[in-house]
Amino acid sequence: MGKKMLNLEEQCKIVNLLKSSSEQKSIEETVTDFFTNSKLRHFNVCYSLSLLLQDKMMLSSTERLVAFAILHRSYSSQKSAANPFISFLVNAACDDGAEKYERAFILQLLSSSNSNSSKEFLKQSASDYIKNFDPSSQNFPQREQLQKQYFEKVHPEPYSCLLQNTAVKNLLADPDVPCGCDANSAELDSQPGAKSKLGSGDRDEALSGLIANLSLEGLIPHWIRPVPPRFPVDEELVWLNPDNSHELQWDQGMCADTSRGAAVRDLIAKALKGALAPNQQEQVLVELANDPKLVYHCGLTPRKLPELVENNPLIAVEVLTKLINSPEIADYFTVLVNMDMSLHSMEVVNRLTTAVELPKEFVRMYITNCISSCENIKDKYMQNRLVRLVCVFLQSLIRNRIIDVKDLFIEVQAFCIEFSRIREAAGLFRLLKTLE
Amino acid sequence: MDSRDSSSSSTPNRDGSSAVSAAGDEEASALAKDAALCFQSRKFAECVDVLNQLKSKKEKDPKVLHNIAIAEFFRDGCSNPKKLLEVLNNVKKRSEELALASREQVESGNNVGNKVTSGSKGIGTNGASIIYTDEFGTSVASLNMAIIWFHLHEYAKALSILEPLYQNIEPIDETTALHICHLLLDVVLACHDASKSADVLNYLEKAFGVANVSQGENGNTAAQQPLNVVGKSASEPNSSLVSDVSCSDLAASVNASESPLSRTSSEDRLDEMFSTLDIGGQNLARRAGLASANDLSRITADRSVSGVDLKLKLQLYKVRFLLLTRNIKLAKREIKLAMNIARGRDSSMALFLKAQLEYARGNHRKAIKLLMASSNQTDAAMSSMFNNNLGCIYYQLGKYHTSAVFFSKALSNCSSLEKEKPLKQLTFSQDKSLLITYNCGLQYLACGKPLLAARCFQKASLIFYKRPLLWLRLAECCLMAAEKGLVKGSSSPSDKSEIRVSVIGKGRWRKLLIENGISRNGHVDSVEKDVWALGGDGQPKLSLPLARQCLYNALHLLNCSELSNSKSVLPSNSSLEENESSDGASSKNSNHRNLPGTDFKASTMSAALINSNGDLKETKGGTNPESIQNSISYYEDICRRENQMIKQALLANLAYVELELENPLKALSAARSVLELPGCPRIYVFLGHVYVAEALCLLNKPKEAAEHLSVYLSGESNVELPFGPEDCEQWRVEKHVDCEEANSGAAAAAAKNPSPEGLQGFMFLKPEEARGTLYANLAVVSAIQGDLDRAHQFVTQALSLMPNSSEAAMTAIYVDLMLGKSQEAVSKLKHCSHVRFLPSSQQLNKSSL
Repeated sequence: MGKKMLNLEEQCKIVNLLKSSSEQKSIEETVTDFFTNSKLRHFNVCYSLSLLLQDKMMLSSTERLVAFAILHRSYSSQKSAANPFISFLVNAACDDGAEKYERAFILQLLSSSNSNSSKEFLKQSASDYIKNFDPSSQNFPQREQLQKQYFEKVHPEPYSCLLQNTAVKNLLADPDVPCGCDANSAELDSQPGAKSKLGSGDRDEALSGLIANLSLEGLIPHWIRPVPPRFPVDEELVWLNPDNSHELQWDQGMCADTSRGAAVRDLIAKALKGALAPNQQEQVLVELANDPKLVYHCGLTPRKLPELVENNPLIAVEVLTKLINSPEIADYFTVLVNMDMSLHSMEVVNRLTTAVELPKEFVRMYITNCISSCENIKDKYMQNRLVRLVCVFLQSLIRNRIIDVKDLFIEVQAFCIEFSRIREAAGLFRLLKTLE
Repeated sequence: MDSRDSSSSSTPNRDGSSAVSAAGDEEASALAKDAALCFQSRKFAECVDVLNQLKSKKEKDPKVLHNIAIAEFFRDGCSNPKKLLEVLNNVKKRSEELALASREQVESGNNVGNKVTSGSKGIGTNGASIIYTDEFGTSVASLNMAIIWFHLHEYAKALSILEPLYQNIEPIDETTALHICHLLLDVVLACHDASKSADVLNYLEKAFGVANVSQGENGNTAAQQPLNVVGKSASEPNSSLVSDVSCSDLAASVNASESPLSRTSSEDRLDEMFSTLDIGGQNLARRAGLASANDLSRITADRSVSGVDLKLKLQLYKVRFLLLTRNIKLAKREIKLAMNIARGRDSSMALFLKAQLEYARGNHRKAIKLLMASSNQTDAAMSSMFNNNLGCIYYQLGKYHTSAVFFSKALSNCSSLEKEKPLKQLTFSQDKSLLITYNCGLQYLACGKPLLAARCFQKASLIFYKRPLLWLRLAECCLMAAEKGLVKGSSSPSDKSEIRVSVIGKGRWRKLLIENGISRNGHVDSVEKDVWALGGDGQPKLSLPLARQCLYNALHLLNCSELSNSKSVLPSNSSLEENESSDGASSKNSNHRNLPGTDFKASTMSAALINSNGDLKETKGGTNPESIQNSISYYEDICRRENQMIKQALLANLAYVELELENPLKALSAARSVLELPGCPRIYVFLGHVYVAEALCLLNKPKEAAEHLSVYLSGESNVELPFGPEDCEQWRVEKHVDCEEANSGAAAAAAKNPSPEGLQGFMFLKPEEARGTLYANLAVVSAIQGDLDRAHQFVTQALSLMPNSSEAAMTAIYVDLMLGKSQEAVSKLKHCSHVRFLPSSQQLNKSSL
């Protein structure tokens, strides 16, 4: 529902005001009476009146004068430029089609804002004003002049929407008269006591109806805002399938035999301290093979790995091979990379490369460590030995395509050149050349 | 554990009190056996009694406490899962404390100053407590907690327990490990996580499928390994079985290593090394990456899980994975295989899956047949699923009312299940009512009942709250309610589409007062702070602010998932890495960390090989890793596209809602985002332009607005169709395209009944109407720019395309009035079909004056 512009009280006020305009009260008095109630919403009242005034037929001449007076008075405490209806008033004053007395009245209203000018003209009733009006006494200035005079300081427009600003009056005349009749003819008005004719109507009824229904909003162009389509139902419907019954589990490990693999644990503990006898070694391997989980319970931790590698490299290989899928294998590898370079560690790594797939990064790191160990060693004899070992190791890795030579080419080449005096290094160098 | 190396005679101090005599120990283990037997025969009360005896002997033993909790839970009719969770959590904590204590004891005892270990300090202790502690192992307790969360549909919580277990699965015993994998699969499938599902499936196939199934009567490996180790089979002929290959490989290395052991001279070692290296080289060709696959394989200790059952289970998981990834073609093949395996067994799951497959292919009749064949009508749980699935089928057939009947049947099945006494094991888990409720919501939405739909979605939000679609649907409920005038402060639908004209006065005084009737609504509600305000009946009050809230929720969730998707490319071990020492070694470590994961993928090939060896005929061309990888990437594509579509819809809806709520700035940014989306379908591009233009108009930028609309202008004043019928079609059909390029079944089904299926939910402007909309809006833009002649031209076009549009009629009248053609305006008003003339409401009567 459009918002009604006027509440009931305001409607009554306006109707009464318009009625009283024909009485012999002075305009001044009528207007003052109107404003005795301060609850009136001035803008709404004035806007309604301006809408009524736009229709030349709707209001009688006296009513129009009173209405103009109200439009002016409502905002007379401020500068005329601040009156929202100033342009409406100016336009009305310049309207050549309007009655001269009306235009003169508006001009007088406008000029009465200046305190020194006389307000005498308001002391008479509206009908007297019209009666006494002398067209020759008034000159009508140009619109531009009036605009200059009253719009002087135009306030910046407060923000409002263009769509709203462009609103047009939403009131249309739709005279319901027989064909050929002049809708403006007063003949059609219903006469008291006379039988109502086709096309007749009661102006007062229409007026109060209008006053009751006027709305603030004018008619604006209407944008079409399509409602977005609903999202298509695709795989969204939930299809149900029988569940797998996941039952709660009994912990079988309760009071279970914990001696599992005790022998192996003992042997591994020994293996950390010294080489195991062949039969002991075999026992470890057999038991580890029999129970794939045993390797996780044999008491080895990453920290202990170096001891195992040094003392029993083959067991270390076997254990690491079995642990290859363990989440801790990375820790073992880290330890292996960081431990002192030795024949045994190299042997372990070499065997591992053939048994399982080692992470590339680990192998690279290990090789880098090998090379730097060779370079740092002081003892010439030991150095020779280690270099030969590393060379053999590298050759094996390259031949077995465990490493991609390209990754380490420069490093390895430099190593070969540095130790070219050693036979194995020369051999490795040749191998590199053939691969180039 | 390590404590036992030094003193193997002493009993491990598992319960903190160390001195328990060997006799007491024996007695305890006898009681434990009794309790286990009682448990197996489901005599729970008895079981609890036995356990309590045990408890008096082994106070505070976490495993005893654990089993007591489980047995009591069953004894009491599975009534309080949350309490059980609490107990299990305490048990777990206790175990971990004990494990830590024993570890510290070991470490401090054995701490030999070693140069090497100092470099890698902290390594042994991080996150490893699960692994090396057999007697303090928490895997069963954790598994049980995950099981409870799973049954409570709390998948994220279940996952948070299962993931670490899965990461450390190697040391866990077979039965538990298998269970962990199965549960994890169910969870990730429920979460629609395709790649994780594939990972677990892969692992399962390798670790369990190989040893157990493919080798037929198993035990070969177990029997051969000891032989191999002692080197007897070193010369065994190269068998096709992978295990043999790697065993002989292993044997070779052992073989070769026997000699160096016997020698000690360091000079000679070098030569030995040569020989080892050579042997390694020979083996290399055969090894070819297969060894690791073998190492993964587990020998199932628990013989009660027969190979065929396991195989069927695995197969069904595979089918579910393929259905999830919408790889219809492969799913079809695999389900066939599953049906073969299932022959002579209870296979309702296989039948349901097959029905789902046919449903996905659009063979609805066949799907119904299969459901009928499987349904065990006496079981409430089964019949609720049966009815729900029928509801889905009828929905897809466009028979919403029939589907409504089935959904409500399914719901009543559920509620009868709840009433069943005594509660069956984990009955609460079989309650799928929330899932069915979601379906109901969709069905109500399709039937145009937004309030009921919203109530369903609200209920379902308990489990679906993380899905963007749920929130989109709720927003749609709000929009539909607003459209239907069910929202507080909104006008009734008739008000919206009508022009109301008050007729005032009679005769020559008659005036027409056009109410600016098509008033926008919604902002009335925006005063309300709490958009979730519930009505008296606990129903959400649908409103446009609520719609906006829902849309923002959905967008947030969508962005989160996009973010996490881009992150999940990285390995998921971040938590482990964080724990690591921050020294230089950590970077190397993190590389090693990835190893198990990458290893799985690398050795997938071998698993497939083995599989085809074992089942040569059946799996010929079956799921190979490539096709699995393909279906994952295919599925990821689908998800990406779907998310994209959801995002378009969300933003378009958001722009619309913001316009309704008179927030042109926000509307503008949402609508602009729609236009910025790559590959946006033409319908949404159209909406984007129209919304952007309106927002710009409201922001007093008619020129820019005109630019957006004139995208569709060709020549001076001819508007092109913003989208064609094929766009609507494509928009609808896209969802029915499946993996098979030429799936005749689906295509035929779509061709047969395109109308009901196609029309579902698609109530949008026809292309010509969209064109008319553009004309009408161009007229508005021209009018407010003052170009009334152009406006007149456009609006005339608009009215000819959509004579029933009251908006266009209003604009036309406006233009006429602006042009001073009030007569024409009046006659337009009188000819417009949507005008309602109201007698003037005379509030003033004479007496009140």
